Amino acid sequence: MNLLEMKGVSKIYGNVHALQNIDLIVEQGEWLAIMGPSGSGKTTMMNIVGCMDKASRGSVILHGVNISQESAKNLTAIRRDKIGLIFQQFHLINYLTALENVMVAQYYHSIPDEAEALRSLERVGLKDRAKHLPSQLSGGEQQRVCIARALINYPMLILADEPTGNLDEANEKIVLDILKQLHKEGSTIIVVTHDPEVADEAQRTVVLEHGKIARIVRNNKEV
Amino acid sequence: MLVALLAVAIGATVLSGMVTVYYDIPRQMGQEFRSYGANLILVSSGDNPALSIEETERAKEYFPAGSVVGVAPYRYKTAKINEQPFMIAGTELSEAKKASPYWFVNGGWPESAGEALIGQEVADTIRLLPGGSFTLTGTSTDGGSFTRDFSVSGIIQTGGTEEAFIFMSLEDLDNLIGAGAFDVVECSISATEAELNNIAAQISENVPGVAPRLVKRVTQSEGAVLAKLQSLVYLVTAVVLLLTMICVATTMMAVVAERRREIGLKKALGAANKSIINEFLGEGVFLGGLGGLLGVALGFVFAQFVSVNVFHRSITLQPMLIPATLIMSFIITGLACLAPVRSATDVDPAIVLRGE
Ligand SMILES: Nc1ncnc2c1ncn2[C@@H]1O[C@H](COP(=O)(O)OP(=O)(O)OP(=O)(O)O)[C@@H](O)[C@H]1O
Ligand SMILES: [Mg+2]
Repeated sequence: MNLLEMKGVSKIYGNVHALQNIDLIVEQGEWLAIMGPSGSGKTTMMNIVGCMDKASRGSVILHGVNISQESAKNLTAIRRDKIGLIFQQFHLINYLTALENVMVAQYYHSIPDEAEALRSLERVGLKDRAKHLPSQLSGGEQQRVCIARALINYPMLILADEPTGNLDEANEKIVLDILKQLHKEGSTIIVVTHDPEVADEAQRTVVLEHGKIARIVRNNKEV
Repeated sequence: MLVALLAVAIGATVLSGMVTVYYDIPRQMGQEFRSYGANLILVSSGDNPALSIEETERAKEYFPAGSVVGVAPYRYKTAKINEQPFMIAGTELSEAKKASPYWFVNGGWPESAGEALIGQEVADTIRLLPGGSFTLTGTSTDGGSFTRDFSVSGIIQTGGTEEAFIFMSLEDLDNLIGAGAFDVVECSISATEAELNNIAAQISENVPGVAPRLVKRVTQSEGAVLAKLQSLVYLVTAVVLLLTMICVATTMMAVVAERRREIGLKKALGAANKSIINEFLGEGVFLGGLGGLLGVALGFVFAQFVSVNVFHRSITLQPMLIPATLIMSFIITGLACLAPVRSATDVDPAIVLRGE
């Protein structure tokens, strides 16, 4: 079943064509990587899929809903219920502990549940760091908190924009292992990366250039 | 945040302080104004041209307890010194002193029988100084004549008609001309013009033979001064509240700007605009409540300080002022938060969460 269908999607900022006529289908349970030079439109595409931004043209159907035509209010609700976001800069709230940062996502979704938030931290191997503030955690640990937060509401799609961009190799491997595990459990993942090693783990890699899909690589083989 | 709290506290302080002073001014100033002399006089309305002691006492029952500053009855009579006629006024000297505190006495008030206060004009005419003496001659009410020596205890200066009078105690006058009724009773009452009108109406209705008159010159200028003072207080309070609002709005704006990333993140995590609004309004309400409470307490201290230093009197806390100040603080912070909250809902997560 197709989780995501993009048809003729363009995004235009003034005279910048950040995305041009994108057609892409992502199946449920697929792990997709997006690569491309800086400014090629990777983040723009993630924002459109993640209901943070609207396409200027074309249709985006996420889980049967045409999100290119929804109101901002509905997009917020869809994002809350269906999407888990992982950021390059982690974006943790600095005065809240790791556990509380995870619970923030629960708070806006339903109700905070400390035991469940702890389990989510346990999945990323941070159970013993639950009471630490972001400033007391390493970059890799902060990214794992960010992942635990993204997972807490069981999203049907995980979007990660350069999740290992700020991490060293050891931490990159830890994060990658978590993503692998999630994929094994059936999560659909789209990850933007500059790192071929990260892209190698995906089933397909979409390469963007100047807002267009230059090529799609499946298991390291040109399609 | 602390700045905003301080601003609200100061705003509420000024508000509650000023309101307290505002409501206290009439009372405070009422006392002060009493130094301008009598504001209500009683004269006879009946056929009998004078007021009896009983009539006076009955009229006095209508004066509100505690607000009477002085009630001085006067009896007038002409008499001669060296064949020159002068007006003599017999009064209760201690009451006259209270009712007319603006009299300036060079020397002292009479302390024993046979002493009199003379007006400056009289003193000039007969060339007398405090300590000097003069002889009064005249006819008493029963037709007989009298001659008696008086010593001058002091000379009064008022700039008004009193300077042409000779003042002595009622007892001294009664001894000279025989007991009798009052020509006029001058009353100094600490009350507003409206209250005085009310008192006057009650007296003329219930006490036959007594005609109360307001001293318009005094009561009206009091009213005008009070109105001006109160509108000044009003204006100052309004300006301070406006400043408070601007300060809170600026601080909240800065708080929102500082937390744009956090707001963007919360939105990305699915926070509806409503949640964001509630969070900031919650902070505003907290700010308003805490600032308001601080303001009530500080405002009372402030009002007390003003009152003690300016009016030399302490004040009592008006219980109604506590909820009123709190509500006002909520309204002010609420209004001040409108624009900042709006700008918080305008945060676009896609933009603020984009890489640095
Ligand atoms: N809000 C915006 N207003 C105007 N132009 C924008 C906006 N957001 C993105 N762009 C432009 O759109 C293009 C694509 O940007 P995007 O962030 O998607 O690139 P990217 O592939 O994610 O790059 P990077 O690898 O550096 O993150 C860029 O030229 C960028 O300048
Ligand atoms: Mg990007």
